[in-house]
Amino acid sequence: MELRQERRPVERPLVSVVDDDESVRESLPDLLGEFGFAAHTFSSGEEFLASDCLDQTRCLILDIAMPGMSGPELQRELKVRGREIPIIFITASTDHTVRPRLIEQGAIDCLFKPFSDTALLEAVNSALHLK
Amino acid sequence: MKKTTAPISLAGELDQQVAQQTAELAAANAELKKQLAERRLVEEKLQQEERELKRSEVRKAAIVDSALDCIVTIDHEGCITEFNPAAERTFGYRRNDVLGRPLANVIVPLSLREKHRQGFARYLATGDARVLGKRIEMTAVRADGSEFPVELAITRIPLEGPPSFTGYLRDITERKRAEQELRRSEAFLAEAQHLSRIGSFSWRVATDEITWSEQLYRIFQIEPDAEVSFELIGTRIHPEDLSVFLEHIERSRRDRSDVQLEFRLQMPDGAVKHVHLAAHIRSDQGRLEYFGAVQDVTERRASEEALSKARLELSQVARVTSLGVLTASIAHEVNQPLSGIVTNASTCLRMLAADPPNVVGARETARRTIRDGNRASEVITRLRALFSKKSATIESVDLNEATREVIALSLSELQRNRVILRPELADDLPPVIGDRVQLQQVILNLLRNASDAMSTIDDRPRDLLIRTEPDDTDPDNNDPDNNDRVRLSVTDVGVGFEPQAADRLFEAFYSTKNEGMGIGLSVSRSIIERHYGRLWATPNKGPGVTFSFSIPCRPDGLTSDGTRTSHMPSVSDAA
Repeated sequence: MELRQERRPVERPLVSVVDDDESVRESLPDLLGEFGFAAHTFSSGEEFLASDCLDQTRCLILDIAMPGMSGPELQRELKVRGREIPIIFITASTDHTVRPRLIEQGAIDCLFKPFSDTALLEAVNSALHLK
Repeated sequence: MKKTTAPISLAGELDQQVAQQTAELAAANAELKKQLAERRLVEEKLQQEERELKRSEVRKAAIVDSALDCIVTIDHEGCITEFNPAAERTFGYRRNDVLGRPLANVIVPLSLREKHRQGFARYLATGDARVLGKRIEMTAVRADGSEFPVELAITRIPLEGPPSFTGYLRDITERKRAEQELRRSEAFLAEAQHLSRIGSFSWRVATDEITWSEQLYRIFQIEPDAEVSFELIGTRIHPEDLSVFLEHIERSRRDRSDVQLEFRLQMPDGAVKHVHLAAHIRSDQGRLEYFGAVQDVTERRASEEALSKARLELSQVARVTSLGVLTASIAHEVNQPLSGIVTNASTCLRMLAADPPNVVGARETARRTIRDGNRASEVITRLRALFSKKSATIESVDLNEATREVIALSLSELQRNRVILRPELADDLPPVIGDRVQLQQVILNLLRNASDAMSTIDDRPRDLLIRTEPDDTDPDNNDPDNNDRVRLSVTDVGVGFEPQAADRLFEAFYSTKNEGMGIGLSVSRSIIERHYGRLWATPNKGPGVTFSFSIPCRPDGLTSDGTRTSHMPSVSDAA
């Protein structure tokens, strides 16, 4: 668990990032910080579930394909535990057919890597019911 | 002197009379004796004749008594006058019990008795005999009432007076049963032939007498009563296969060897059938005769073709699918670092646009952007390495088996191109050390080239000969310990090539074909050279070309157990 933004943690909504790809874990928190959010990163679903961030996380940016627990599996696990955290899926896959299915199952959006900063901001704002 | 002479003369006369009478008596006696002798002679002759007659009768009676056939004679009223022991045994009557009884009542079953009487009456009235002098089959009845089949021949006894007849009867129960068995077995065979679409035939080589089974007529669609000749058969053989067929016939006639042949038939309506013929020769008292079977394999061939078409389609689908899978995995690998690049660059711009600009953060994100760019480039390098990796597998290869597999793979394509393939694979071919798949690529390439070279040939059969043989004619070989080589050659009767083109054939991107890429032969040659062998082409005496390669069984640098002792370049090295 890496704590990136600690300025005014109470006012800044926490966005958690779960992705096995290191470049995503490195780059996303800075961008989210520029957007004015706090960000935590996790390299797996298991790590996220074991953390004490579940309660504070207002939005989850979640990779679909990971070793171990996959993104959709984490989504189901959270539902089972009664944690209805808004989820934005991200994926390096080019199979666009997964998007409507994931949205149907409750995801806010599904972004295909590489995605633009504005697309990400729009999705996070939508998750947090901002604007 | 009359007186004195008188008594004298009296006595003399008396003497004279006595003498005369005696002479007459003697003559009569002689006559009687003669007559007696003649009479005795006649009597003896009569007796002799009587004896002979008796002997003849005894002989005839013996024949009648000991005959295995039943012999029954009847008089003009149809009553039994003779009933031999065989008849007694067969019908279960004693002779004495049936003599004088009407034959019809004794041996003719009740149901046929009326018919028998009518026939007999008709003959007596009109002389019209439907049964005299020929063998007929009918049902007879025994004393115990059981009925059985008999063969019957009736003849008229040639004597003066009212007509009388002899009947010869034979119990044919066994024969009938045998006939029935034979019919059953024939029906069984015919049904089996029908179901399996196999017809059988025999061919007497000396006289060209050909016998066909019913099913064979059906396969050839020839009227079942037609007399089979090679001329007639020829009208059904597919024109493109006719010369090969006739050649096989001549070869069989000459060599007297067993025959295995596949060819096509063309029906009057244009339909084409594929048939497989197998025959072996037998000699019966010096008379040579082929016995064989012809199977209609059209459906099997059609399903094979459908299968290979499906396989081809499947392999294309698999190629497209695997290409899709490959593309996706490449995209995934590249998208990960690209995502980092885009995010970092976006963040960098935002940091620089802030007031005041976050230069430290921007520098960090720019640094990460470069690193992710390098990561993307590494992915591409890895992919290239993955695809160029093609290691040659060195093993012991049975070139015949490898050739057979290639033939099996290309057979339907060859047949679509109307190519007649004749494999001549040497029995005693030693195995070679090499890469089986690569060698098969070469064989496949040579077959395809040969087939393509004949695609425009229509004035002769598109014969393709593929031959393997031990090769001891390699001029470059000076090593007496390593003279085991094998040679494979592919001979076509195609368009051939210009002599000046011979050297260029093996150059990459040189092609005499419109569709060809021109890489087949150059790749083939590099494969053969990597097996320390050579690949060359020679024009045939007749039309077409022969491509051959010859490779050593144990090349230098490769041990017999297949391990490498020196570098054997792989395809990627050559490319």
